[in-house]
Amino acid sequence: MRIGIVCPYSFDVPGGVQFHVRDLAEYLIDAGHEVSVLAPADSDTELPDYVVSAGRATAVRYNGSVARLNFGPVTASKVGRWLEHGDFDVLHLHEPVTPSVSVLALMAADGPIVATFHTSMIRSRTMQAAYPIFRSSLEKIAGRIAVSEDARRTVTTHIGGDAVVIPNGVNVDRFSSAPHRPDWTGTPERPTIAFLGRMEEPRKGLPVLAAALPAVLAEVPGLRVLVAGPGDPKEVTSGLPEHVAAAFEFLGAVSDEEKASLLASVDVYVAPNTGGESFGIILIEAMSAGACVLASDISAFSRVLDGGATGELFHNEDPDDLAKHLLALLRDGERRADLAAAGRTRARLFDWSVVADRIIAVYETVIEGRMAARPEHHTGWNRFLRGGIGR
Amino acid sequence: MSGVLTWVFAGLFVLVIIAWYLSYTAARLDRLHVRLSGTLAALDAQLVRRAEAALELATSGLLDGATSLILANAAAGSLEVPEEHGESRELAESDLTEALQLSLTPHAVELVRDAGEAGTDQLGRLGSACTRVQLARRFHNDAVTDVRRVRRKWAIRIFHLAGHTPMPHTIEFDDEIPEHLAA
Repeated sequence: MRIGIVCPYSFDVPGGVQFHVRDLAEYLIDAGHEVSVLAPADSDTELPDYVVSAGRATAVRYNGSVARLNFGPVTASKVGRWLEHGDFDVLHLHEPVTPSVSVLALMAADGPIVATFHTSMIRSRTMQAAYPIFRSSLEKIAGRIAVSEDARRTVTTHIGGDAVVIPNGVNVDRFSSAPHRPDWTGTPERPTIAFLGRMEEPRKGLPVLAAALPAVLAEVPGLRVLVAGPGDPKEVTSGLPEHVAAAFEFLGAVSDEEKASLLASVDVYVAPNTGGESFGIILIEAMSAGACVLASDISAFSRVLDGGATGELFHNEDPDDLAKHLLALLRDGERRADLAAAGRTRARLFDWSVVADRIIAVYETVIEGRMAARPEHHTGWNRFLRGGIGR
Repeated sequence: MSGVLTWVFAGLFVLVIIAWYLSYTAARLDRLHVRLSGTLAALDAQLVRRAEAALELATSGLLDGATSLILANAAAGSLEVPEEHGESRELAESDLTEALQLSLTPHAVELVRDAGEAGTDQLGRLGSACTRVQLARRFHNDAVTDVRRVRRKWAIRIFHLAGHTPMPHTIEFDDEIPEHLAA
């Protein structure tokens, strides 16, 4: 198959959607398909050879956060040329309601289109404003994918119709074969727990973990808290009692390999995120690496952990409950091993080999639908009416 | 005099806008109808594929006689119903889904798998057909939802832009994938 994939977010900075697009494209290429990815990127950003840059991205405030997007008439004609040159059997758009190359491709294309919705947080105000503009273009999408039940709910409430849920993929093998690092591995006296994510972003939940620590340290004074992710350590430790601050070890931003080793080494991986997670790919990575997971019971996490069968859940934003569960896990090595083993099995369901096959099934279904449809007439007038302006 | 001309031009302008809007809406609806006919045909094809895979498994001799009979009966029922989608078709497909769920117990799946490559092949084909039936039905119903919403627009109702194309209905039947077929 010739597959065109459009990513609205810039490849200059890493992010969940970008990683998803990259991994999917690489899996499809390995499976023998022809793939071209269109995404915004700076000219000095190094890109894999299957990625075509749509030009420099601009930082824009949209839908409540700042995203690096790409738009404007020059970009629109670039998108048109990419489509024409690519002559794709199927076009796969990510986040089609983001004002970037995805929506430009949606407006210009008229072949079979699949769209993946990642976010679970489209603001109603944004959607109301965007609606009249997008409505008739959105009708071109023949197959909708949502990465989680929450993202699917966003589709059904804001866009209407339904979407098939296909979770994000994880390279399970990359994590399951990660080596242990002795300096991150816990001992009975000095057990280790890990936190991953931006420290200053409150919804990642580091403050909840910090609030739970005094109670945990009272019982397990040797506990080491390994924090991996960008941010200023001083902001985290300021205002904390000295012995609590001393339990923290800050690793800074870590590479993919280090992240995998960290997850494989620690006794418990704690994910205290307070909300806004649509999926929770980090939990799957942790389970793949064989970590024992303790996570807040937000709906996305609860679903990934199979309702608590493959990882402990504590009440969201409740430090006391977090402390209680963490202590119980730290004391019970057998329980930790059981959860880690269940997690490894669970993670297989989210491996790219499983996920990509389902995405390919979507492509094939959509292409078949187009082949079976009565032939379209391609007069210039028709194309103009169909919203193909600018091609 | 120039006042009259202005009014004439204004009137013409409005007429042109209305004409453009109607023609735009008609083209939009046409595009949706094309998509709809495609998704329906795709669903048809997948349903036939599923029934054939089920029939093949039933006649392969890998299942016990009674189970084979139940499965073959349901598969034949799905293949025989009239082309048009209607209540009888939906019933037949739900029946096939139920028959698949009843026949493919963990034990039966294990036996078929143990029979070697032929067995795993057949299970694979059936599993993929079941997945695609689910996808095709969802995509078709999405198209139906879009068509129905657009056809509620006043311009389409007043000017009969939909012509004689009947109002589509979502297709509802049980398309659950047999629990033990996956994995």
